[in-house]
Amino acid sequence: MKQFVIIGNSAAGIAAVEAIRKVDKASKITVISDEDYPSYCRCLISYYLAGEVKEEKLSYRLEAFYKENNIELLLNKKVNRVDPKKNRIICEDKSQLGYDSLLIATGASPKFPESVKGIKKEGVFGLRTIKDAKEIETLLPLTKTVCVLGGGLIGLKAAYALRKRNIEVKVIIKSKQVLSQMLDAESAGIVARRLEENGIDLIFGEDVTEIIGEGDIKAVKLASGKALGTTLVVVGKGVEPNIGLVKDTEIKLNEGIIANGLLQSSIPNIYTAGDACESLDLTLGKLSINALWPVAIEQGKVAGSNMAGGDINYQGSLAMNSIEFFGLPIISLGVYKHQEGGCEELKSSDAKANIYKKLILRNNCLIGAILVGDIRSSGVFLKLIRERVNVSSIKDSLLGENFGFPDIMDLIKDKEQIYVENCS
Amino acid sequence: MKQLYYDVKKCLACKSCEIACSIAHSLTGELFKMLGEEALSLPRKKVLFCSNKNYPVSCRHCKEPKCVDACMAAALVYDKEKGMVLHDEGRCVGCWMCVMACPYGAIRPNIKIKMPVRCDKCKDKDEPACVKACPTGAIIWREEIETVRNHR
Repeated sequence: MKQFVIIGNSAAGIAAVEAIRKVDKASKITVISDEDYPSYCRCLISYYLAGEVKEEKLSYRLEAFYKENNIELLLNKKVNRVDPKKNRIICEDKSQLGYDSLLIATGASPKFPESVKGIKKEGVFGLRTIKDAKEIETLLPLTKTVCVLGGGLIGLKAAYALRKRNIEVKVIIKSKQVLSQMLDAESAGIVARRLEENGIDLIFGEDVTEIIGEGDIKAVKLASGKALGTTLVVVGKGVEPNIGLVKDTEIKLNEGIIANGLLQSSIPNIYTAGDACESLDLTLGKLSINALWPVAIEQGKVAGSNMAGGDINYQGSLAMNSIEFFGLPIISLGVYKHQEGGCEELKSSDAKANIYKKLILRNNCLIGAILVGDIRSSGVFLKLIRERVNVSSIKDSLLGENFGFPDIMDLIKDKEQIYVENCS
Repeated sequence: MKQLYYDVKKCLACKSCEIACSIAHSLTGELFKMLGEEALSLPRKKVLFCSNKNYPVSCRHCKEPKCVDACMAAALVYDKEKGMVLHDEGRCVGCWMCVMACPYGAIRPNIKIKMPVRCDKCKDKDEPACVKACPTGAIIWREEIETVRNHR
């Protein structure tokens, strides 16, 4: 009998719990969350804010899940510090808990850049938790205009949600394009047009320097000197891993907690997964954080299995994003911008149909893809990227209308199972 | 647990399976009436041509489904008893994570209604519509082949 402690009750934490319980029904598992809700679909909170998903549909695992799996769930509890020498954690409320094996799946928090004067004012929100969404929601009846800082994934999801609520939305974007962390300029142009056609105002090449207003917010001031009237501000300037609890310990940190192939930190009985975990990135070939739901699930599974005595080597993560705005599907995988040194690009586009597809290859292996408008077979591309398959023999078919799994069947490791001969 | 297998040597790409699939999942269940439905019923199976053979492609109901892991809305669930990946349309938001994750490209997006299109083995029917419709016997509906059981 062991005591497992999991800090974090979202994708990585839950996946780890499920992996542990697969092989170990007896040991004690304690899951700790600083939020007030049992696990929920974090990525859906913008849909909730948009009014497209009801609160009860946000739940990821029902309360019964914790009972059935014999898990002690501690909500509203913040872990302040991990003491690896004594194998225990210390909480904000001074309570302590010992562990045999610990998972740090604390996730990340929105960045509020201090270069923006007044960023801590009331009325400035991130969009990360149900609480954020609910607080924004209560202000909507009094809100005419919202300024969103940042044209990344969270900024645009917030903009989309608020537009759906008939709020006037202005997105202030420092770079010259939207989604600069996942799209090239041409594909970003298609997305920007779709957002603008649906009434979202995009302001490029501008930065907010100050949030103005005493008590209530009145406006944001831009670097150009211009001011935009607004009463509510949503900040989408990226996230930072929640690793305060292990600062000043011997656990090795970079941007996040550095994980080895087993997803152990530098202390062997302390594991990490999800947005706080910095692990090998398959396409970059170095340590990186891919703060994404599917990555958190993958990592949680591996970490959980290994905590329960397994020996699974984590293959590595890669950037993979899928979003949809006003009927336009957008997928970005791996490396999305041309890189120095011998990269090859394959492209096809149909401007009228808002379709844009780009594949990036290095040494005849696919390392990235952008798919806008037509996302069929994107999972097949993902498979090619993950397995570093040499695609020289199928290069001409990759962007063809008829491309699909059969084209890669002979190139991948798995033994084919459903296409058979004389099996009956 | 019955699964779908394909004898690709027999497949002529007549696409009878695609049409039968569309009809079986339409509201009216009839070819000509179906064409008038507001959201066209897209086939959950597609026949793709490759190296002089034809391959019907549809959901394999993997035992360790990537789509279920990727589903950020908990709309996809693997049902062990049924041996199937089930899709709860009421929870689905059409984010296309499943389309991105499926290594077989077997989930297609129905962009218009924001709903992924994937094989449900015709749910409660004894035999999927594609099996019935295949004129050459290329689609085989049989108990899982033992030797491959643990590899999927």
